Amino acid sequence: MSTVIQESQQPISAKFLQFYKDRTLLAILLSLFAVMFVYGIFFTDNYLTITNFKAIIRDAALYGIMAIGLTFVTLSGNFFLLSLKETASICGVTFAMGMATGFGSPDLAGNFMVSLLAALAVGVVSGVIQGYFVGMGGNPIVVTLGGAGILYGIGAWWSDNLVINFTRPHDAEWLGTGSFLGLPSITWSFILIAIAAEIVLRHTNFGRKVYLVGANKAAGKATGHENFSMAIIVFTICSVCCAFVAVAFVAQMDSAQSNYFSAEFGSSGDMTILVIATVMVGGNSIMGGYGSTLRTSLGAIFIAMVDNMMVLQGFNSGPRIVGVGLMIVFSIIVFGLFAKGSRAQE
Amino acid sequence: MDNLMKRITKDVDLSFAILLSFCVYVFFAMNIEVFFSHNISFAILERFAVLGLVGLALTICIIAGEIDLSIGSNAALCAVIVVKLTDPLGAPLAMLIGLSVSTLIGATQGFVIAFIRIRAIVITVGTLMLLRGVALLIAEEKTVMLTDFRVPDFITTKVLMYFSPASLTVIFIFICVGIFMRYTKYGREIYAIGGARKEALTAGIPLRRPMIIAFALSGFCAGFAGTVIGLKSGTAQGLGLQYLLLAGTVAAFVGGVSILGGKGGVLGAAIGALTVNFLNTGLVFYALQVHFVQLFTSVLLVIVIVFQTMSRIFDSRQARKSLLETIDERKTALLEKKRTVLGK
Repeated sequence: MSTVIQESQQPISAKFLQFYKDRTLLAILLSLFAVMFVYGIFFTDNYLTITNFKAIIRDAALYGIMAIGLTFVTLSGNFFLLSLKETASICGVTFAMGMATGFGSPDLAGNFMVSLLAALAVGVVSGVIQGYFVGMGGNPIVVTLGGAGILYGIGAWWSDNLVINFTRPHDAEWLGTGSFLGLPSITWSFILIAIAAEIVLRHTNFGRKVYLVGANKAAGKATGHENFSMAIIVFTICSVCCAFVAVAFVAQMDSAQSNYFSAEFGSSGDMTILVIATVMVGGNSIMGGYGSTLRTSLGAIFIAMVDNMMVLQGFNSGPRIVGVGLMIVFSIIVFGLFAKGSRAQE
Repeated sequence: MDNLMKRITKDVDLSFAILLSFCVYVFFAMNIEVFFSHNISFAILERFAVLGLVGLALTICIIAGEIDLSIGSNAALCAVIVVKLTDPLGAPLAMLIGLSVSTLIGATQGFVIAFIRIRAIVITVGTLMLLRGVALLIAEEKTVMLTDFRVPDFITTKVLMYFSPASLTVIFIFICVGIFMRYTKYGREIYAIGGARKEALTAGIPLRRPMIIAFALSGFCAGFAGTVIGLKSGTAQGLGLQYLLLAGTVAAFVGGVSILGGKGGVLGAAIGALTVNFLNTGLVFYALQVHFVQLFTSVLLVIVIVFQTMSRIFDSRQARKSLLETIDERKTALLEKKRTVLGK
């Protein structure tokens, strides 16, 4: 749904329909929010407390940041990465290595900037390599499935599959456990990244190109915006977001292991699928060209709300996973039915 | 036999698969003394019973032009159901129930994909999570275990030196699916909607029937793989078996399917699964940790993808070159003609 490109040429009725469709999906999400909220107020103890809401947004921030990175990939029509948690885990291992040993040189041990830059560099490298293969014409799912195995293997090999600890007074505490104006740093990062991503997508040349390539690959190619460079850039953005989340998480835990994000994580038991779920529940089109990071952020908060409520109600992980799974399937089917007829199948 | 040779030499990807599989086998046979023996062959076939089925499930989906990410969860769900029901109901009835659940789930996915016309990856990511949750619910978040171990014993008895009841059944399924895909109308329809969907739909093939059949078959195969794993070990977990997706994808792609659909076959899936099995079994002898096995399997996948992409790019370049050459030839011919006419 290439809204901006076609808007001027469409007749008024089609424009109205488009507007209506856009807002309907958002309205469905918002009304679900409202229903959850009211239900939570009346039927859940300890729901309507500021601490609880802070906890919700804090939960949402962790996978929300990754989901914002993934939104770029999805919008540009490259589906999604299956290597999110593996990228995060190898970046986390890198960061912890830097904080604990300084990569072999004792002068650098505990140096926050060096460790952060190293972790981000690992994210950039993995993003560029995967993006290169996808841009060459590989299928994103298959390439990142292979990339996931390789990244996990390297991360586990490097750390010897051990937990890497570093002691508590360290330079990264402000990121992991510190707070500013009553909100944790990770929440502030989530808000800032969400705003920045929205501005980039709406108001910069690059952002509009992402939509163009996602909405119509052929038109993008004809106007000189090939998917090759686009794939590399969006995969790098996504991997860097993963690296940032990994750094924040490791800074909070003071330790890292290669399967920190693989074992039961949050509501889903799997970080990658949870992040993909966030993008989908937000109502972004997986085929690309339609959606926004605002929707993704709302989706993250929504999933965190549902999960939080189920935890407060005393559910085990089984029903919680079923809940998130039902949400994904529901949003896919609703989106598919709405978009039916207005999008040609590839 | 002649027909088979022709097929192998004509299909670049299949011959690459055979070469790769041969290389992997020879590498391990050279380095490990016991690799070329009866017992190891039996072990490889035992692993083949599981991995081959998952590879087959993914191969069928990819031939139809889609990819099914939920097979790991589907297998886990089926394993949990079968292991849980074997004690009260007996193995055959439990298997029947588990497999029909898996097949039904697959068919439903196929129906939704064809009805809403969305890509399979979209819906199967959702069902991946949903089925995992359902499996956890059914298993009550514990590891389900058999109390009576006669069934696992029966499944792993040696028959005819190399085979066991499990691997014999799997080979039988392979033959049936191969005949179905190659020689029946419904099987050819799956190839048609994968290779050239627009053309197939224009020619009057309904999208729903082949899609439902393909996903039902893949659900059945995934469920059967889960059953074999569950009954062999006597235990099942709701969160287990997620590694099957990577292994199955590698098997399918080594076997020569194309992500664009319409290419590949059951023979390729078998060879691909065998290659992955050679690798996994061989790595066991080096006493490596699990993550190394994952690393090497992924490297195998990347090698195959790079080869496929390269051969595709090479093909398209070749086609363009020959097209340009024909154009040049015609141009020169026209110029010659013009010159002769003008010369006169």
